[in-house]
Amino acid sequence: MTYRCLLQMALLLCFSTTALSSSYSLRSSQSRDRTQVYRIGGRLSIVSCLRDRTDFRFPQTLMKRAQQFRKEDAVLVMYEVLQQIFGILTRDFSSTGWSETIVEDLLVELYGQMNRLEPIQKEIMQKKNFTMGDTAVLHLKKYYFSLVQYLKSKEYNRCAWTVVRVQILMNFSFLKSLTGYLRD
Amino acid sequence: MLALLGATTLMLVAGRCVLPAASGEANLKPKNVEIHIIDDNFFLKWNSSSESVRNVTFSADYQILGTDNWKKLPGCQHISSNKCNFSSVELKNVFEKIELRIRAEEGNNTSTWYEVEPFVPFLEAQIGPPDVHLEAEDKAVILSISPPGTKDSIMWALDRSSFTYHVVIWKNSSSLEERTETVYPEDKIYKLSPEITYCLKVKAELRLQSRVGCYSPVYCINTTERHKVPSPENIQISADNQVYVLKWDYPYEHTTFQAQWLSAFLKKIPGKHSDKWKQIPSCENVTTTRCVFPRAVFSSGIYCVRVRASNGNGTSFWSEEKKFNAEMKTVILPPVISMRSTTDDSLCVSVGASEESENTPVNPLYPLIYEVIFWENTSNAERKVLEKRTDFTFPNLKPLTVYCVKARALIEDDRRNKGSNFSETVCEKTKPGNTSKTWLIAGICTILFSIPVVIYVVRVFLRCVKYVFFPSSKPPSSVDEYFSDQPLRNLLLSTSEEQTERCFIIENASIITEIEETNEIDEVHKEYSSQTSQDSGNYSNEDENSGVKISEEFLQQDSV
Repeated sequence: MTYRCLLQMALLLCFSTTALSSSYSLRSSQSRDRTQVYRIGGRLSIVSCLRDRTDFRFPQTLMKRAQQFRKEDAVLVMYEVLQQIFGILTRDFSSTGWSETIVEDLLVELYGQMNRLEPIQKEIMQKKNFTMGDTAVLHLKKYYFSLVQYLKSKEYNRCAWTVVRVQILMNFSFLKSLTGYLRD
Repeated sequence: MLALLGATTLMLVAGRCVLPAASGEANLKPKNVEIHIIDDNFFLKWNSSSESVRNVTFSADYQILGTDNWKKLPGCQHISSNKCNFSSVELKNVFEKIELRIRAEEGNNTSTWYEVEPFVPFLEAQIGPPDVHLEAEDKAVILSISPPGTKDSIMWALDRSSFTYHVVIWKNSSSLEERTETVYPEDKIYKLSPEITYCLKVKAELRLQSRVGCYSPVYCINTTERHKVPSPENIQISADNQVYVLKWDYPYEHTTFQAQWLSAFLKKIPGKHSDKWKQIPSCENVTTTRCVFPRAVFSSGIYCVRVRASNGNGTSFWSEEKKFNAEMKTVILPPVISMRSTTDDSLCVSVGASEESENTPVNPLYPLIYEVIFWENTSNAERKVLEKRTDFTFPNLKPLTVYCVKARALIEDDRRNKGSNFSETVCEKTKPGNTSKTWLIAGICTILFSIPVVIYVVRVFLRCVKYVFFPSSKPPSSVDEYFSDQPLRNLLLSTSEEQTERCFIIENASIITEIEETNEIDEVHKEYSSQTSQDSGNYSNEDENSGVKISEEFLQQDSV
């Protein structure tokens, strides 16, 4: 019961990755060729912002060690990632580069996922049953802090958001792989 | 000797110079250095080790762990008291480990550095009190809570939306009655009495880190007098097929109601969201205590709903907000399935979306998989297959058999969604199949070719049987070669003629010719041992001996 809801993560990620990619189309389309649309639309904004790229130093060790996480640690990490992405997107609804509808839908979904994870997370915190979780959370906070500071320093301009969006998509793929490990 | 003495003296003197200085430094060095961080305020506290009031000041340095770049700690240079505030340090990253060191100074003397154990500011920081703004209604108090720290807080930059708040509220008159509630930044405390002074205090918590902050100061507020138009109560929302039903209780009639909704995630974000509430369609100005609206209004997610009443006397305050989870299980319509038999012993199945689904807003973002059930019409054994493709084949089936198939669509990766209903069952018969024809032809040919072979084998078998049980009297061919003369052959093999001996009674001379004949015969008999006999007319090997005896008798007779 407690971990079955984590299967919803894949749903979230399917939804979000396709939602995010479909936002690049010029009209909201229901076309199946989303990757094509992504490439056409995305290229225009990404190329002009290439010089704004920064190494935010996502904790690569997390990616590698994800398989070693126990379920408790993984839940904490996932909750933190969800929370931080939520936090970043709520700073500035309008200039993320995605349409507001997409952002709102994404926030709704993120909130729903966090809501589902909350009882499990409460249980874990009560039992204090985590080992690697809190150090992992600290590493993640460093990473997200650098993202937020970057956005602030660039005054939330279009290129800064473009760069951050790419990071968010990478986070989703990390979540997806974490869900995959948990499912096994 | 002298040199040794001189060196020793020198060392002693030097020691005397050094030692007092060392003891002096030891006296100056601060003790029990502690760091206190509340939100973005950094304090350093210590104890001075020297008891006498002297002109001792303290200075501190800091660096990021791992770098070798000690910097002066702003606000903590030449401090004469026992604490300093270094909040103005512009820490770029509060999540990195910081090293601090502090020393005492007296004139030109400085103590050794007291090195504080490296720490992560974020982990050391205490959560300060939140800022609270109150607004009163008759039976509720509206709270507007700002997260601890300033808006530009570095410490809580990532956690502004993550705080949860605990409110303790009591009536000012009796401090015994306390109620604790967990609230959002923008929330209401309900079930209060009108015209009563309530006091409350709020603290923030970061649940993920199990960190609780300090309580805010106590705030007190008076609830207003009872409103003429009461608010609706006991809001219920339920799903019924394709609609949601919103119900509430209201004691009076002749009232119109209005319902609004809000995405629940907005409540997590500090700040006013009063402009984000939206009207629920078909729930504006309803006169009954219920309203019905289509499920399509809410896509999957968590929402808050509130209702207010209005009549001739005015408009009520908003009711309690009801949270509900619109688990909009995407309505998936059953697929359309078709099946046809192909030339092999297989059936090709094709699954497609129904025509209706193109009109209804089925969410195209969820990839579908199909659960296909396949069975032979006459048997009950079902085969269940999960297929992602829309065209697939069932191979290796029995020819000329009726198979049936039905399918339903599921959302891939969403096992909680039970998917669509099953499509209609479609049955199809497999073709005779080339393979069976081929076998038939092959069988016939085999039979045709095998008939002469069988006949031949049977004949050989019969010959053997005949040879064993009904043998012929012909000698083997090898013997036949040896004895190629006709008369001998006759003698040995022939049974058709009996060798008869002519016996004549000799009474006169005319008999001599007859005897010659018999002599000839006897001579012939002398050369050969075997002889035929006349006795019984039966030819047998046993008679050969008797035949020999008979020839001996003839010889005896001749001699006589």
